[in-house]
Amino acid sequence: MTNVTPKARFLYIPALLLLGACCCDKEVVTAPPPPPPPPPAAPAAVVVAPLSDVFYDFNRSELTASTQSQLKTNATWLSANANKKVILEGHCDERGTNEYNMALGERRAQSAKEYLVNLGVDPARLKTVSFGEEKPFDSGHGEEAWAKNRRVHFVEE
Amino acid sequence: MRNTRIPIARIIFAICFMLILPLMLRAEEVKEYIVIRKQGAEKIAIVLDKTIAKGDRESEWAKSLDATIKGGLDYTGLFNLMPAPLNIRNTQDGTINFGAIGSVGSDIYVTGTVSKKSGAPNLDMQVYDITGKPLLNRKYTGTDKQLREIGLRFCADLVELLTGKKSVFGTKIVFVSNRTGTKEIYMCDFDGQNVEQITSTRSISLTPAVSQDGKYLAWTDYTSGGPDLYIKDLATKVTVAVRKQGVCIDPGWVPGTDECATTLSIDGDQEIYLIRPDGKLSRRLTKSKGIDVSPTFSPEGSRMAFVSTREGRPHIFIQDLKSGQVHRLTFSGNYNTQPAWSPVSDKILYSSMQKNGEINIFMINAGGSGLLQLTSGTKANEYPSWSPDGSMIVFSSNRQGKRKLFVMNSDGTNQRPLLQMDGEQQQPSWSIIK
Repeated sequence: MTNVTPKARFLYIPALLLLGACCCDKEVVTAPPPPPPPPPAAPAAVVVAPLSDVFYDFNRSELTASTQSQLKTNATWLSANANKKVILEGHCDERGTNEYNMALGERRAQSAKEYLVNLGVDPARLKTVSFGEEKPFDSGHGEEAWAKNRRVHFVEE
Repeated sequence: MRNTRIPIARIIFAICFMLILPLMLRAEEVKEYIVIRKQGAEKIAIVLDKTIAKGDRESEWAKSLDATIKGGLDYTGLFNLMPAPLNIRNTQDGTINFGAIGSVGSDIYVTGTVSKKSGAPNLDMQVYDITGKPLLNRKYTGTDKQLREIGLRFCADLVELLTGKKSVFGTKIVFVSNRTGTKEIYMCDFDGQNVEQITSTRSISLTPAVSQDGKYLAWTDYTSGGPDLYIKDLATKVTVAVRKQGVCIDPGWVPGTDECATTLSIDGDQEIYLIRPDGKLSRRLTKSKGIDVSPTFSPEGSRMAFVSTREGRPHIFIQDLKSGQVHRLTFSGNYNTQPAWSPVSDKILYSSMQKNGEINIFMINAGGSGLLQLTSGTKANEYPSWSPDGSMIVFSSNRQGKRKLFVMNSDGTNQRPLLQMDGEQQQPSWSIIK
């Protein structure tokens, strides 16, 4: 650098900046052009997991550890998609009685919503609706099917 | 003297006893009769004679009326129906041979004649006891399309005459079926005849309930995407929607008023509120953390039984509407829902999920005594609803695979299917509909 004249240095810095602007995701190296073609859709943010259902124990609307962990993942999606509104559908398994399950499904949706709001999601973006046992995910009869049906299902509005 | 005095005293005593005896016997007879009926062992024995008719048209009517009357009386489970013995009429003068009725073990003889008056059927019915005393002599008329109605009107009169109580005839049952692929509300006669589809929302329609006076039908459906309550005036056919934030589910009517109670979650928690028939909120009834759902009311409308999780698992509670005081009704089992308060007594039906996974129907007095299991050994028996006279119960059961409607006598006897219909049927509600 010592033998570079002040004038040359004056030209060298903008040239470096220009290179840097062209390949923002690459480390700036002194390699000469041609620069590699920019990758398609340069990722502006981190890739987030899609919204996923959360599950409950029989006759319960309290959140289990795994339910909370999935809700945190869903909260990440919600903050990455700040313009999206979501419906939380509360569902139950076929056991128990329809009318009671209608209320239970709502409590499940409410508890999931409350948790997301505590994580910082705007409550205005979250709507809850209960379907009780009217829309099972798995129409089978047995714990395997029931476990899949005791859920809060997330739907983009 | 002493010897003669005692017999006189004895005679006086004996005379007094003889005077009182019929009263005592009578009281005892009635008591014994009710007890036997509860065991389902004894029915009222009736000789039901064929309706007399002259002419082809009249004979056709008679055949149809006989089928309706026999079917109707049989349905109540109250009677042991017997055909008339061959010697019922004296061959010479055609008079009734009452001796023949008693000899086959019957208490009552029923006979009728159908004739044609200006083209329409005219039914003359007579009922006698075994001594030949006339108990009823009444005319029933209508058009030839109303034969079933004519026959059932007589059935209703006969039940009232012999039991002193109102009957199920003329009442209706509303229920939910997925026959078309989606759950809609339907209505049928007390015996499963004349099925009629009430809603065609193609969403999910649930929990129909008719007010005790037969004026309004309330139910929940998802036409708007969420569970809203709808109240239909059955005379004007005008329907109002009750749309609130959150659920709006499982209505129950308060006898003697135009108000129904339903669960809303407008205040966050699931609580029971009173709604006016115009859809306006009247007042809030419950206040507790957890679910409060499925209100049903005592005949005079002053007390409400409902499901609550205020003490953990779902149980039936009773609330006095005036004082607001609440007490827990069920202590056995740990999942008790779907209460139904008798329209004529202090008995409450409910369903209980048992350890073996079965759901069964139980009956309990509002005071908490007399717990009785009415169904058993047959998967899920749910959603009991009383007939308006309190003599029968309709419920849903999957004992034959799919969920279908069944009826039974109020003591749990005589359980049988109500109707043959495609798809599943559930959530029946029995009421008077004008």
